[in-house]
Amino acid sequence: MREITYRDALREALREEMLQDETVFLLGEDVGRYWKGAFKVTKGLAEEFGDERVRDTPISESAIIGVATGAAITGMRPIAEIMFGDLSALAMDQIANQAAKLTYMFGGQTKVPLVIRMPFGAGVNVAAHHSQSLEAWFLHVPGLKIVMSSTSYDAKGLLKTAIRDDNPVMFFEHKLLYNIKEPVPEEEYTVPFGVADVKRKGEDVTIVATLYMVHKSLAAAEELSEEGISVEVVDPRTLVPLDKQAIINSVKKTGRIVIVTEDCKTGGVSAEIAAVVAEEAIDYLDAPVKRVAEPDTPIPFSPPLERFVIPDEKKIVGAVKEVIH
Amino acid sequence: MSEGAVIKWFKKEGEKIEKGEPVVEVLSDKVTYEVEAPASGIIRKIMAEEGDEVPVAETLAIITALDEELPEVEAITEPTVERVEERIVASPAAKRVAREHSVDLAQVKGTGPEGRIGEEDVRRFIEETKGARKVREAIPFTGIRKTAAERVSLSAKTAPHSTITMEVDVTNARKLREKFQVSYTDVLIKAVAEALTEYSIINSTLEKDQIKIFEDVNVGIAVATEAGLIVPVIRNADKKSLKEVASTLKELVEKARNGKLTKEELSDGTFTITNLGMFGVDVFTPIINPPETAILGVGRIVEKPVVVDKKVVVKPIMQLSLSFDHRVVDGAPAAQFLREVKEIIESSESLLV
Repeated sequence: MREITYRDALREALREEMLQDETVFLLGEDVGRYWKGAFKVTKGLAEEFGDERVRDTPISESAIIGVATGAAITGMRPIAEIMFGDLSALAMDQIANQAAKLTYMFGGQTKVPLVIRMPFGAGVNVAAHHSQSLEAWFLHVPGLKIVMSSTSYDAKGLLKTAIRDDNPVMFFEHKLLYNIKEPVPEEEYTVPFGVADVKRKGEDVTIVATLYMVHKSLAAAEELSEEGISVEVVDPRTLVPLDKQAIINSVKKTGRIVIVTEDCKTGGVSAEIAAVVAEEAIDYLDAPVKRVAEPDTPIPFSPPLERFVIPDEKKIVGAVKEVIH
Repeated sequence: MSEGAVIKWFKKEGEKIEKGEPVVEVLSDKVTYEVEAPASGIIRKIMAEEGDEVPVAETLAIITALDEELPEVEAITEPTVERVEERIVASPAAKRVAREHSVDLAQVKGTGPEGRIGEEDVRRFIEETKGARKVREAIPFTGIRKTAAERVSLSAKTAPHSTITMEVDVTNARKLREKFQVSYTDVLIKAVAEALTEYSIINSTLEKDQIKIFEDVNVGIAVATEAGLIVPVIRNADKKSLKEVASTLKELVEKARNGKLTKEELSDGTFTITNLGMFGVDVFTPIINPPETAILGVGRIVEKPVVVDKKVVVKPIMQLSLSFDHRVVDGAPAAQFLREVKEIIESSESLLV
């Protein structure tokens, strides 16, 4: 199978959906022909589909999401890009109080088929304002779906599903993923929401990891396998809806769980997953739940300090060994 | 027995009493008996009224010396002992597996941090103890089962049992049964009651240094119920006609099966009949129902070849097994009693009185 980058996989999804459905259009800061998106995801799309369907916007996240939400309820399928996910804070009222609630407030008479693409995460030394992982914010707002795709294959398949979904979808990308190259089939496919993917099968410990942490967990699992410890890596792929059963099934098999996420530990996604396991699978736990997450701190600019706070293979290996005793 | 009912006080508060004198009559699950004063003195205080149900070992009355005043009763409090409970630290998964396999976690050695028991430890324990007897279910040893256990133990421990058996031809009893629509058991009760009036030494109880022969002939019948074995009593069976015995028994068995028997109907037996014939048993060694002196075990009825006037004929034969308290009687009187029972059943005529 051919291998393409995560960036190209995303672009293919956008292009295919734009070709199939003329209500699909893009908007965001510098997504057009001059800058092609901050991470070049939209490269070539303005040339192919025209400036009407690939629209550069003023530097106002609130306006981008407001316009996109309005377009969505009138029947369009907008895909908004927030240049850095951190800046979604500027659009939070539009996301949490408008896009997420309109279908409910209008008694189901309107739909909000909106996708918001956002690069998150640390690792490129861009300091506290451009390195966060804010999935927990959105997790707490009913009405939003949350996608976190860790591979090129998932990125393309999930983005197509997101575009066709009639609800606002927060589409999480990670800065360090754009250049990974992975097999993606040429023929059309989609990846459904709410179906976790076991990225590596194992017997001794379950790791549930999201987004870029899936890759670090897989590296840690490889390292641990050399010591005879068999790790299963479960990637939920979507946080809303969450495939609880896949997590529980894995815990039933291994009896041990380590949750690896890049967001802050307190009130984080890892807390929610731990709670699911505690509520629904406590009788299968053979060791305390362990979480590997960012300590509650702004992401430092200093490269050594940034490495210090972000979960890595060493921390994951340490946590696995703790639960396996 | 876990509690008893106070039936009657023989003394009032303030009355003098001698050690050994009966002071109160108490009804247990099965019998009534007189409680003797454990000391001489004055009954200072009666703590349980007639009719009260009182747990075993509860104080019924206080006897003081003649010149002794009743001290202020202080509330007796159990000395509080600090109980340090040994907490078993085990993972939820270990607990689940232990539960599923009825494993006592206290038996399992934990190999986790600070001795925590993990699922592996439980599985290893199950593997290691494989082949040992696995407990599927633990039935609480309480209530009627426990009472029965205590009573048979008491009987087996205190009364030296001897069992004699005899074959009985029930040809006539069968006719009787068909003609008057009574059961073999009715016939047996009546026959036993008759025989007991003749051989009254069997209708007795051993109490310390006295063998007390009962005036009444009260025949108990062991009945298996869902709750366990109980023995309703047909009072004055010797004075009842066969028909009366039959109707009384029918009523008692019905009540027994429905758990409706009263204390009176379960009390004061002087002899017991137990029947295992319906299960195909021929002969067995029943345990005496204390404080009685003997018990009659009834076996099944089988058509058997027997020799009558030098000819082999087929007759319905029943085996009777009599266990008796060898302290009270020797083999000879017991055998005479059993032969009497046999003869009454075989003739069956006297039963129609």
